Amino acid sequence: MPNRPTYPVIRGTCRRRLWSGYWGTHAQTSEPTPKQPYAAAVAGVLDIDSLSRRFGTVTALDKLSLCVPSGQVVGFLGPNGAGKTTTMRAIFGLTDLDAGSVRWNGVPVGPDQRRRFGYMPEERGLYPNMLVAEQIEYLGRLHGMNNAAAAAGTMRWLERLEVADRATSKVEALSHGNQQRVQLAAALVHDPEVLVLDEPLAGLDPTGIDVIGEVLVEQAHSGRCVLFSSHQLDLVEDLCESVSIIDHGRLVASGSVDELTATGARRLTVRVDGDREGAWARAIRGVTVSEVHGGEVRLVLDDSTNGDAVLDAARASGRVTEFLFERRRLSEVFREAVSR
Amino acid sequence: MKVNLRDRRLFGDTGLVAGREIRERFRGRLFRGVTVILFVVVAAAVVIPTIHSGSARSQRVGVVPASASLDSELHELAKRVGVSVEFVDVSDLAKGRAALDAGQLDLVVDGARKILVKSPLSASNTSDVARYVRAVSVALGAQRAFAQAGLTPEQAATVANAKPLPVESIQPVNKTPTTAEATALIGVIMIFIVLTQYLTWTLMGVMEEKASRVVEVLLATVRPTQLLAGKVIGIGAVALTQAVGLVAFALVLAAAVGSNLVHGAAPFVVASTLVWLVLGYAFYSWVYAAAGSLAERQDQVQSLALPLSAPLIFGYIVSLIGVSSGSASLLVKILAYLPPTAPFAMPTLVGFGEATWWQFMLSATLSLVCTVGVALVAARVYRTAVLRTGSRVRLRELIPTLTQ
Repeated sequence: MPNRPTYPVIRGTCRRRLWSGYWGTHAQTSEPTPKQPYAAAVAGVLDIDSLSRRFGTVTALDKLSLCVPSGQVVGFLGPNGAGKTTTMRAIFGLTDLDAGSVRWNGVPVGPDQRRRFGYMPEERGLYPNMLVAEQIEYLGRLHGMNNAAAAAGTMRWLERLEVADRATSKVEALSHGNQQRVQLAAALVHDPEVLVLDEPLAGLDPTGIDVIGEVLVEQAHSGRCVLFSSHQLDLVEDLCESVSIIDHGRLVASGSVDELTATGARRLTVRVDGDREGAWARAIRGVTVSEVHGGEVRLVLDDSTNGDAVLDAARASGRVTEFLFERRRLSEVFREAVSR
Repeated sequence: MKVNLRDRRLFGDTGLVAGREIRERFRGRLFRGVTVILFVVVAAAVVIPTIHSGSARSQRVGVVPASASLDSELHELAKRVGVSVEFVDVSDLAKGRAALDAGQLDLVVDGARKILVKSPLSASNTSDVARYVRAVSVALGAQRAFAQAGLTPEQAATVANAKPLPVESIQPVNKTPTTAEATALIGVIMIFIVLTQYLTWTLMGVMEEKASRVVEVLLATVRPTQLLAGKVIGIGAVALTQAVGLVAFALVLAAAVGSNLVHGAAPFVVASTLVWLVLGYAFYSWVYAAAGSLAERQDQVQSLALPLSAPLIFGYIVSLIGVSSGSASLLVKILAYLPPTAPFAMPTLVGFGEATWWQFMLSATLSLVCTVGVALVAARVYRTAVLRTGSRVRLRELIPTLTQ
C-alpha cells in the first residue's frame, strides 16, 4: 500500500468542505477566513516576465508577466487559445519567444534549471510501446538521476499514484486515466522543484481527480512550485490558493482565490418554501437573480441594497429555510475577467 | 531525493537516448524477425555455391582393358570437357558393371565396344558425367571409324586433333566474376537492405515521437541535437551490430564449408563494405531523421520517403549493374565520389580492384565532410519542425529558420 498523506483525504462532493477545514475555517458563514499557505520547505519563485510570442498574425503572448511562488498550488486559467499552453511551453524552451524571459529564483531558466523542473504537456507524451516503469526510469535518468534513484523514484510514484500494478505493462495497454497517472509520475520521478502541468485533470474520473489533486497539494506543501492549467474551475477553486487568469496572451486577473472571490458584488443564496422559481426576488430593486437551481435562488446584490430588505421580502413570500451570503465563485470571476 | 546534476553519464543524455533506442530495437519483434531472415539468406548465399561446386568431384572411370594410350586419351577428353577424372583398372566388363551398380564407379569405358552408365542419359542432362560420357562416346566412335577407314594412327591423330576455327564475338568476353567481385555484389546488396531498413526506422522513429507527443516531454530536459544524435547513433549501432554479425557469421561459415569468400581480395571487400555501410548510414540518417520531424502521420511519411530514397536507389542500381556486367563503368567511377551514391559505388570499385587506397580515403573524406554539413542542417530542421503539430511542415516554411 502506498504511504498516505497525513492531511485529510478529499473525496467527491465533500472536497470543498474538507479543504476548507484543512486550510482553516471556512465558508458557510458570511465571513470566510482566507487560506493560509503552508511554509515552503523549498523557497523559490518562478518569474514569468513580459513574454511575447506571435505566430504569423496571431498574438499568442502579449507581454505576459506573472509570478508563481513555491509552497502553493497556482491555477493557470484562460479560455481556449488564451496562451496558457504557449506560456508553459515557453518555460521549457519548447517555443521561441519574441521577447521576455523566464527566471527561477532570479536566474534565467536554462537546461540546468529545467532538469529540476517537471512537465506534463497538454497532449500526453509517452512511448506507447514502452513498459511503464522503464519509461519513467528513463525519463528520470534524463533528469540526471542515477539508475538506482530512478528505479526507486519510479516505484515510489507508481505506488503513490496507485498504478504500481501496471509497472510492467505497455503504456498503450493502459486506460486513459492510468496513462494520465503514469504521465504525472514521469513528471514527478525526479522530485522537481517546479511542477508545470497542462490540464492534468482533464478526462479523469473522480477517483483519479482525487489522487492527482492530493499529489499536487502535497507537492506544494512540501515547498514545490506548482502551476497547473485547467478548465474545471470548481476543481481549481478547491485545489488552488491562487490563480492567474489570462486572455489573448495578457494577464487579466491574478491573486489568491479568496481575494478574487471576495471582491465584487455580494452574493446571496436563499431558499423560500413555496416559491422554487424565486419570483419573490425579481421585484426587489437592486437585486438580480443570477441562478435558480432546485429551489435555491442565487442573487446578486448591488451596493445600495440592504440584505435585511431582501430577508424581509423573502419572509413575506414564505418560510425561509436558507439565507446565506456567499463569495463569488471562481467561474464568475473567470467569466467577468475574460469578458472585459 | 535530490537530483545530482554532477552525475554525468557516459556520453551524457545522447548516450541515454541512444541506449534506449538500442534496447527497444533489439527487443522488437521486427528486428528479430528480419535478423533471422538475413542470417538464413547469408547462410544460403555462402553454402549453396559450395554445394554446387561439390558436384565437380572426380569422376571414377573404370577402364576395360587397362591401356596407357586409352587412359591418356580419356584424360585429354576430361580436360577438354572440364571434368576431373580418376581412372580405375577393371579386368572385365562384368566386374565393371558390378562396381557401377554398387556405386563404386561413375562409368565404365570398354575401349573396344561400349560405355556403361548407371542410368540413361537424357538429352537435357548437362551434368559433368553426362558431358564427359558424350565426349568419350563421340571420340572413341570416331577413332573406330578412322581405323575402319584405313587411316594410319598418325592420320587418325591429325583428324582427331583438328582444331575448330576461332569464333570471335564483337562484344566483350563475359568473364566469370572473381571472388572479390562476387563479394562486392553481396556487399552492395547487403548495404542496400540494411540502409533501407534502418533509415526507415530512423524516419519512423522520429515521426512516432512527434506523433505521440513524447518529444515534448523529452525536449523539456534534453536538447534537440542530443535527442536527434542519440536516435541516429542508437539505431546506427543496432544496424552496425547486425551487419557485423552477418559478416562474421558469413566468414566463419565460409571458412567452415570451404567457400571462396575468405580467399584473395574478398576480405578487403568485406571490410570496405562495412566501412561504407557506416558512412552511408551516417550520411543518410540525418536526412531521414530531419524528414521524420516534418511529418506526424504514416501517409505524410510515405510521401517524404520516396524522394529521399531516389539517390539511394539510383546508386544501388547503377552499382549493381556495374558488378553484374563484370566491369566498372565511367558512371560508377564518378558516383564513387558523390556521398549519396558512394556507399554503393565505392565498394563496387574495390571489388573490381579499381580503387587505390587514396581514392578510397578521398571518397570517405568527402562523405564525412558532407555528413557534417548535412547533420548541421538536419539539426536545425529537426529543432524547428519537431514541435510543430498539425499538417505536414513544408520545407519552404523552414527557410527563414535555415537562413538565419
